[in-house]
Amino acid sequence: MAQLFPEWSNRVPRMLLVGSVFFVTAVVFFFWHFGSHDYLEVGYAPKQPIDYSHRLHAGQLGIDCRYCHASVENSAVASIPSTQTCMNCHAQIKVDSPKLALLHESWETGAPIEWVKVHDLPQYSHFNHSAHVNVGVGCESCHGRIDRMEVVMQAAPMSMGWCLDCHNNPGPNLRPVDQVTTMGWVAPPNQFELAAEIIARKNIAPPVYCNACHY
Amino acid sequence: MSTTPNTYWRSLNELARNDEYRQLVEREFPENASELTDGYSRRNFLQIMGASIALAGFTACRKPMQKIVPYTRMPENVVHGNPLHYATAMPFMGSVTGLVVTTHEGRPTKVEGNELHPDSLGGTHILHQASTLDLYDPDRSRGIRQGDEARTADDFAAFCASTFTRDKRVAFLSEASSSQTLNRLKRQIAGRFAASTWVTYEPFGEENVLLGTAMAFGAKRRPIHHYDKAAVIASFGDDFLAAGPDSVRAAKQLAKSRKVMSTEDGMNRLYVVESNYTLTGTNADHRIRVKESEIAQALFALAAALGADGFGGHTNAFTGNGDIARLAADLRGANGAALVTAGADQPPAVHAAVAAVNAALSAVGATVTYAALPFADAADQNAAFRALTADLAAGRYDALVMLGTNPVFTATGDVDFKAALSAVPAVVHLASHIDETSAALPSNGWHVPRAHYLEMWGDGLSFTGAASVIQPMIQPLFGAWSEIEVLSTILTGSRTGGHDLVKQTWTGSDWNRILHDGLQAGTSFPAATVRLTGAAAIRAAAEALPTVSGLEVAFKADPKLIDGRTANNGWLQELPDTITKITWDNVALMSPTTAAGYGVEFPRASILRAPADEEPMVAVNVNGKTLELAIWVVPGHADNAITVYTGYGRTHAGRVGNGIGVDVNPARTSSSPLFASATATRIRRTYPIASTQDHHSMEGRPLIREASLSGYREKPDFAAKMVKVPGPIDEAGQPISLFDEQTFPDHEPQWGMTIDLNACTGCGVCTIACQAENNIPVIGKKEVKRGREMHWIRVDRYFSGDVNGNPQVVHQPIPCMNCELAPCEQVCPVAATTHSDDGLNQMTYNRCIGTRYCANNCPFKVRRFNFFNYPKTWLIEGNDPEVVQMAMNPDVTVRFRGVMEKCTYCVQRLNRAKIETKRATGDSRKPADGTVKTACQQACPSDAIYFGDISDTESVVTRTKRNERNYLLLEELNIRPRTSYLAKLRNPNDATA
Repeated sequence: MAQLFPEWSNRVPRMLLVGSVFFVTAVVFFFWHFGSHDYLEVGYAPKQPIDYSHRLHAGQLGIDCRYCHASVENSAVASIPSTQTCMNCHAQIKVDSPKLALLHESWETGAPIEWVKVHDLPQYSHFNHSAHVNVGVGCESCHGRIDRMEVVMQAAPMSMGWCLDCHNNPGPNLRPVDQVTTMGWVAPPNQFELAAEIIARKNIAPPVYCNACHY
Repeated sequence: MSTTPNTYWRSLNELARNDEYRQLVEREFPENASELTDGYSRRNFLQIMGASIALAGFTACRKPMQKIVPYTRMPENVVHGNPLHYATAMPFMGSVTGLVVTTHEGRPTKVEGNELHPDSLGGTHILHQASTLDLYDPDRSRGIRQGDEARTADDFAAFCASTFTRDKRVAFLSEASSSQTLNRLKRQIAGRFAASTWVTYEPFGEENVLLGTAMAFGAKRRPIHHYDKAAVIASFGDDFLAAGPDSVRAAKQLAKSRKVMSTEDGMNRLYVVESNYTLTGTNADHRIRVKESEIAQALFALAAALGADGFGGHTNAFTGNGDIARLAADLRGANGAALVTAGADQPPAVHAAVAAVNAALSAVGATVTYAALPFADAADQNAAFRALTADLAAGRYDALVMLGTNPVFTATGDVDFKAALSAVPAVVHLASHIDETSAALPSNGWHVPRAHYLEMWGDGLSFTGAASVIQPMIQPLFGAWSEIEVLSTILTGSRTGGHDLVKQTWTGSDWNRILHDGLQAGTSFPAATVRLTGAAAIRAAAEALPTVSGLEVAFKADPKLIDGRTANNGWLQELPDTITKITWDNVALMSPTTAAGYGVEFPRASILRAPADEEPMVAVNVNGKTLELAIWVVPGHADNAITVYTGYGRTHAGRVGNGIGVDVNPARTSSSPLFASATATRIRRTYPIASTQDHHSMEGRPLIREASLSGYREKPDFAAKMVKVPGPIDEAGQPISLFDEQTFPDHEPQWGMTIDLNACTGCGVCTIACQAENNIPVIGKKEVKRGREMHWIRVDRYFSGDVNGNPQVVHQPIPCMNCELAPCEQVCPVAATTHSDDGLNQMTYNRCIGTRYCANNCPFKVRRFNFFNYPKTWLIEGNDPEVVQMAMNPDVTVRFRGVMEKCTYCVQRLNRAKIETKRATGDSRKPADGTVKTACQQACPSDAIYFGDISDTESVVTRTKRNERNYLLLEELNIRPRTSYLAKLRNPNDATA
């Protein structure tokens, strides 16, 4: 009787075994990588209704973050500036620019500008800006080098694990409170001592229990 | 006196321990609660689920785009994300109460009491708390209409200019109002037209009280009671603790002398003479159970016993009654620190007699003062309303203006207001909804949408006379008009804004200060000097009052819906009634003995043919009308009497209130609106009632601990010693636990709560305040019947004593106890409920997968499960229903279906306070004692809830926990609840008559 299976079929189980290891690894990697906040969130840079350039305003012109995001020190939200804030300058500067047509229209009609939210936490997470900037967590620690962004892009994954990394060890991300809006702040050689001093003075004990953010 | 545990029960089934009760409590939720039985079968549910998962799978590929919409012009003082607080006042039945309203970016979301206001002192009642939902009611009327045609504001102004000319005969019908501006315009109107009549129509207002004092003193005077100055208080059918114009102040003052913190402290004594069990009755030290028609007789017997003017030699059925004699002796013994009150719905003769009794007790000037009301009409407004209806029907008026009020629905059966409307050539009705009256307008009648108090300018006087300005929190949502704007348009033919009208009234005042404080400092009614002149008239009126010898029906204002004005408010509809714990319905309330006469006996197994979950019904024939109502047995109700509540059975309330319950107004008569003789027969129909009284049962453990004042003085620690904690004790004096101890003693703060059962009146404002603060959904009658109600803090009501006689009632609010060794945490498979460093039992919604193990393992039954996406169910029908969403608190997550939730001690407030404290001080770990309050604590009118940091040995809450009355629920389980209770005390009169 002729052999029913050719000789190479002996290798099939082995190939299947090896192949399935690769396949499972690939599936795990697929979800682990493409499902992660690093992949899904970082780099999100939606088009905004006005081509507002942070590189120009915050970077080249050096306008302080708090000029527009005025409530960052006093409130949970940093707040998007009102049309009025823009008009403080643009009532006189670049009045006829077509890029600012929507801004002037908003000012005249009273219709607000609908900006697209970039850093979009889920509704069940309550982040408070004032709790962070008042103890020395810099804007760039979470938002990256905004002063270099033509279009605002999400720089950090903003996942719970990423939050907890800092809540468990806040030292590396602390700076003097008067430096929180500085972009490109370089940690001094004695960052460890500096952070320890801020932690002691400000009595910093970042909560890591659920109710700190989820309620 | 004895301090042994009473037997407490919540329902007659529980008392009987019958099968029905056992079945109910053995299940976590009633039968079918966990099943999806409506609408779709399990199979097509899976199909729907499959389809929506497939769709969701595709849509999830793209990140949903969220918009941020900033202001165009930044309003002054607004900081994004931080709420603002403004003082205003809520008008209700002719009095305003000062409130402080929280607004988020111009959107009022929560009201609190104004601590500066003498009639609030920081407290609120259920109608205040629920009023934010009324503002965002999607069923509110959307614009001016004439007949079915939409009209503009200019059309209406033109109509006013052409119609209300000087030669016209105009009738005005308004709700009771103390508004200075309204009354200023009212005086202008009086001189304006050829003939004009102004009638104040308030179906359950204080007109009878004023008529009674007019009978006694010769002029209408409002009695103002000073409960804190009275050692002995006797209420004759006066439910002064139930939501009303003066209830917050009453609760504050009554609680003041009931917070017994040491054996040295005294306590007042409250007698209540009533028919149905009311909120005030449950707080009584002595409750005397008589029929509604007998309340007056009991009072007259008391008046005779006390030798009140006009009652010398008066005798009736209560003369020589032991209870009345003892009450008389106790009142007399209080030496002027005694107070007698009567319910506002009692006839004028009763109020006149009360005035005589208080005068005989030397209470006038001490526990009761009288005020002349600057806005009260001299004439009898009840009679004026009947006369007006007749005159309208006879065509004696050219025009009728109704400012609020819904007489087509609320008028008694003998007054056909609807027919009268059709005989008037021009009618204007200002109403928040197209209600029964607006719907009955003639085809050329005008409906004008009425502004909610949170969106209008106004003013008014509080019950004690503090003058307030009502300032708006938001622009009128639907182009609504206030009363004064309509009046001014009628006078001038063009619309003037409410702000200008109010400001004209208040010229020369310190306007900004008044707006800031919420009232003009130091204003109150001066105490009027009164002299009892009408003794003979009182006697005559008293002896002319009818009595009912057989079965009687009493018509009472519903404690939540009043005359039906709040019927479209889901929070109020779903708030369990104080006594019956019924939601979403009115019933025929009667005593067990009376019910037995209709074949309704307990245990319930004997009910003929009634399905186990439906109630038997009775047909009540009264004044020629038949009311078919479900029978509900209330232990302690007077025998041979039935009580029914008004305000139900509305047809034009809106999506929430339409068709809920039975309208009983047609069976009332204007000559005796309070009670009538009746016959009743059992009918074979049954009716489902959603009562929560057996839900979340704790099965007979000693949860309520109670003693008499003298028993407490003998043995102050009776409550703590009531339960023996088994097992070995560790060095800290705590029983040893199997589980990891999660107390975090080094971390500050550690939150804890104490609830004083002796101060708690059981009014339920905590439940509504919690609902408003924490975005708790309304789920509807069907869902409540299945035991799915979502309230995070419930008020358990226990009866004790003789079921057929006069049992006592104790209320116990139950929020989450935040146990240190929480049983729920041990069983959660996904660690969605864990412990926080500051001692909270935290519920993390995003982790919850909905196994409901935690709810099953919770001994206090405080966990609530979202069986459906409840917040959405109200958002899918009708005219832009999403307006309801504006009532939501942005600081609290709106929970989705399949998620467990429970009281968090208002963690959003705690976190905000902690962050703000740190920002203000730079380094402090915790807010100062008393600066952070939970929603229930802040709303409570009797300050029964204490909350704070228990790691601070000097905080108020720690001091209350050291009190001897302090005890823990289910201490023997060693779960270490953070919420403890101060035991209930009563102050019975030991004297025998």
